[in-house]
Amino acid sequence: MKNSKMTLSAETMNLDFVRKVEKLSGSSVLRCFQCGKCSAGCPMRSFMEHPPNRIVRLLQLGQYERVLAGRSIWYCASCETCTARCPNKVDLAAIMDALRKCSWDAKGASKESLVQLANKIFLDNILAYGRQYEMRLAAVFNLQSGKLLKDFMLGPKLMSKGKLKMFHQKNKNIKEIERIFRRIEELREKGEAP
Amino acid sequence: MTPGKPVLSYSYYPGCSLHASAKEYDESTRELFRVLKIGLKEVPDWFCCGATPAHNVDELLSLALCAKNLVLAEQVEGDMAVACASCFSRLKTAQHRLGEDEEKRRQVEYAIDGTFDKSKPVKHLLEILAKDFGLEQLAAAAKKPLAGLKVACYYGCLLTRPPEVPELDCVEAPTIMERVIAAVGAEPVNWSHRLECCGANFTLSRPGVVIKLSGDILASAREAGADCVMVACPLCHGNLDIRQQEIEEATGRRFAMPIFYMTQLLGLAAGVPATRLGLDSMIVDPLPLLKKKNLF
Amino acid sequence: MSRIGVFVCHCGENISRTVDVERVAEAARGLFGVAYATDYKYMCSDPGQSLLKKAVVEHNLDGVVVAACSPRMHEKTFRKAVQATGLNPYLCEMANIREHCSWVHEDREEATAKAIAIVTMLVERVKRNKKLAPIAVPVTKRALVIGGGIAGIQAALDIADCGHQVVLVEREPSIGGHMAQLSETFPTLDCSQCIMTPKMVDVANHPNITLHTYAEIEQVEGYIGNFSVKIRKKARSVDMAKCTGCGVCMTKCPQKKIPNSFDRHLGTRPAIYVPFPQAVPNTPVIDREHCTWFQSGKCGVCAKVCGPGAIDYAQEDEFIVEPVGAIVVATGFKLYDISEKPKGSAIKGYGEFGHGKIPDVIDGLTFERLASASGPTGGKILRPSDGKEPKAVVFVQCVGSRAREKGISYCSKICCMYTAKHTMLYKHKVHDGQAYVFFMDARTPGKGYDEFWRRSIEVEEAVYIRGMVSRLYQKGDKVVVMGSDISVGIQVEIEADLVVLATAVQPREGADLLAQKLGISYDQYHFYSEAHAKLRPVECATAGIYLAGACQGPKDIPDTVSQASAAAAKVMTLFAKEQLEREPIVATVNERFCVGCLACKKVCPYGAVEEKEIRDRQGNLLKVVAWVNPGVCGGCGTCQATCPSKSVELDGYTDEQIMAQIEAL
Repeated sequence: MKNSKMTLSAETMNLDFVRKVEKLSGSSVLRCFQCGKCSAGCPMRSFMEHPPNRIVRLLQLGQYERVLAGRSIWYCASCETCTARCPNKVDLAAIMDALRKCSWDAKGASKESLVQLANKIFLDNILAYGRQYEMRLAAVFNLQSGKLLKDFMLGPKLMSKGKLKMFHQKNKNIKEIERIFRRIEELREKGEAP
Repeated sequence: MTPGKPVLSYSYYPGCSLHASAKEYDESTRELFRVLKIGLKEVPDWFCCGATPAHNVDELLSLALCAKNLVLAEQVEGDMAVACASCFSRLKTAQHRLGEDEEKRRQVEYAIDGTFDKSKPVKHLLEILAKDFGLEQLAAAAKKPLAGLKVACYYGCLLTRPPEVPELDCVEAPTIMERVIAAVGAEPVNWSHRLECCGANFTLSRPGVVIKLSGDILASAREAGADCVMVACPLCHGNLDIRQQEIEEATGRRFAMPIFYMTQLLGLAAGVPATRLGLDSMIVDPLPLLKKKNLF
Repeated sequence: MSRIGVFVCHCGENISRTVDVERVAEAARGLFGVAYATDYKYMCSDPGQSLLKKAVVEHNLDGVVVAACSPRMHEKTFRKAVQATGLNPYLCEMANIREHCSWVHEDREEATAKAIAIVTMLVERVKRNKKLAPIAVPVTKRALVIGGGIAGIQAALDIADCGHQVVLVEREPSIGGHMAQLSETFPTLDCSQCIMTPKMVDVANHPNITLHTYAEIEQVEGYIGNFSVKIRKKARSVDMAKCTGCGVCMTKCPQKKIPNSFDRHLGTRPAIYVPFPQAVPNTPVIDREHCTWFQSGKCGVCAKVCGPGAIDYAQEDEFIVEPVGAIVVATGFKLYDISEKPKGSAIKGYGEFGHGKIPDVIDGLTFERLASASGPTGGKILRPSDGKEPKAVVFVQCVGSRAREKGISYCSKICCMYTAKHTMLYKHKVHDGQAYVFFMDARTPGKGYDEFWRRSIEVEEAVYIRGMVSRLYQKGDKVVVMGSDISVGIQVEIEADLVVLATAVQPREGADLLAQKLGISYDQYHFYSEAHAKLRPVECATAGIYLAGACQGPKDIPDTVSQASAAAAKVMTLFAKEQLEREPIVATVNERFCVGCLACKKVCPYGAVEEKEIRDRQGNLLKVVAWVNPGVCGGCGTCQATCPSKSVELDGYTDEQIMAQIEAL
């Protein structure tokens, strides 16, 4: 897939997907002229199979399967270095967000499931408690990822420093958070929000 | 404070980390502001801003969470004071996007069941100290100047971003941290990795990433001759401080580089008792360094 | 005895670093005939020149040697300074001890010795210099412009507007050139014909312009200010004085299936035709190769239907001679042909692109005709093979250009921009079509150019793919394009309905032959050479001949028009003088010794040698001798070296002077 030949035609180039990404991100995709500055400064480049410029290029050619199939989009750290330095005002960080959303919504299986798992637990925490509780985040992550002993030595150290709270409480106004999640869902069901 | 000048007072948004892994940031901030006589009142019942995980997969949720917090912050007088660089970046981004995009604003207002008002200024603590309070005042307040302490000021990636709202300082070549720490007598070092990413939230899912990126940052600070690193972000702190031992094991280099929150160093200079700056919460023990420099 | 002054220049440190200038001056002082010698830091500076002038007067000098840089650099400077003292400027010579000595040697002793030798030679030469005077040459204030494209039209109009007579010669039956074939023009997308035809009409109506279309340059003689140009006016078979341009002959001509070259063979035309409706002049020509009357002696329909009786089958080529003072060459370009080429040619075709045999693989100019409202399809983009509207069009840039293997290493300069324009024209006409462009680089240096190219991508959504196409082949009714996107490193394949190749820009065929007639130089590709790439970009090395447009190198319309106006300005500068002065370094024939063998005439590269009859008072021919036209002579000395009887001498470089220089060593 990664290097197999691209056959370009009106049918094989999903330009609707490009427009969707442009709408979601609020950034032009076509404006990119492949200078490579984003990839030059990306701290995560060495962890990615497709460097950032290649992701934009594949998008321009409507090759969204290639983009979403890789784990590259999940290895973006959202540091926004690319966006800050782009000579063409291509907001690559926002494009990455849009791509992850497309992938997330489609529940497309990504090889990089650990990042997605951490993401999911993080958001679940917000819905459940209103705030983030790192102890719970780490514990649930280790449990669900099967890495029970991950950071085994770190836990007690942090605990002794008072950095991990064993007990936490829900926000008093947690209902308002629940409403936010519910209403966003509602807007999406009605097709009024992406 | 000069008589007649209105007393500074802020609506304080600490963010989730400051109530847990970054509790020393919260403690030192409150103590510093108390000594400097800057009012700080916490936003009641604030929520998580959603941080990176939210905007990574659901921009609308991210915007709604931030908008909700901005609305909640209205309950407290004064500009919004944000401690965490990530929260700061998210709140500024939301304010900017919702101000620009009518459609998104309508969706968000429905979700939070309220009216979004972009008028409340959102400020990072650095901005408050450097600009609102002022460098001269800061220098005047430094009863125990940090003479001889070589500090590597680490901005990380999010402090000056998003680039479309570069209100804190120049996006690519900021100097605000250096100016602040120099004002209290310390010596900022010139080094290469001030703005590089530390690996941020990969700390949970992909610690290997953090070890590589944060390792490079520590090495760069060490090569520049820094005694310590100063940060203004709990994520950066977590990666550089909590994972430092792992980085040392992985790279075979010994750093023993204390990672201070800027409020801890400023607090020391302003005469806050060392016991109330949460220095004991740091994983890399700062006391040998502080003793060596006669700062403790 | 001579009283010669020698002035040795340090040239800052350029000379004095390697040459002991003081010792050179001292040695000069000891030479027989040298009355004064000195050295100075910068002889060319104001104080340096004053020093020289003062010395000439004070020491009553009768010759000057300045030992400094190359005469190309400062000979004029010092001769002017010498002239200011009242001395004949040609009694001043330069001894080049910089380029010929200090710059090329390292050893100080040897360099100094060489500098002394050079100065000694020049002293001997100046002793024998004659007092010369510049040669006055009259100027014929009429210009010839060769080529009636936008370059020639612009140059002709500018010169004519300045009040001078212009003779404009065009090979085709109409002026207009390539620009008349274009649909719209970058970067503003204005219609080419709409901005072109008013200028064509201006040429036709201008009282100062004599237009010869369907005509070619036969022979050029003469020199700057005084050319004589023989023009062949090809037989039109139509009397231009009688023809009203009604066009009945064209509609009635039974022979209608002749491929229309103006439309790049996409459409057809009759045997009697004007190339396009807006042609200037609007007078048809008969294409004798395809005309039934000329081929079989039958038909004659056009003559029968022509009201004014303008058809003249008996017309023959006519030769006219036009005297002109300046020539602007504006012969334009052609596009590289991808078909198979004869063996031994530096230009190779493109077998991998089908050698021009795939019907739906066309070049950029053909696409212009497809897109043109006055073209064979009325402006609809329809492909040649089956007339269907193509939904996927692939454009390939750099075909031939930047390909050393194909014999062309240069960039054709206009293709990036016209391809971007093509994608826009295509998208404007075929809304559901997709344009793809394979390109190696986008070269868009020009005002508004890069913005234009980006618009083709960002607004018109042309898909640009960085990488050269490897091969094209027919598959069913599609043309398969095999390429690669090198920015992602993945092979790309597209099944195209139409492929447009941006083929290289080359000089017009026959450019070399015309250059030989004109005596101007050209490069390996047959583009004409300018005198200096930066400082004399519109002048030829041959005086009085100027260049405009793509005959000098690939050029777009804005650059062509600018260059044409620049060439016109140069012509007007020339015409501003009543007569020209030129260097008197010319050959003269000693008629007493000349035996009239005319060996000099055969070797003269300027054609300056003529035969001269010497007669007695009764008019009896005594003998024929050679005569050198001082206006034409380039002063090269070839005749002098060739003459078996030693009867030709080049002023300033006589045998006596050269021998004296050698003997002084």
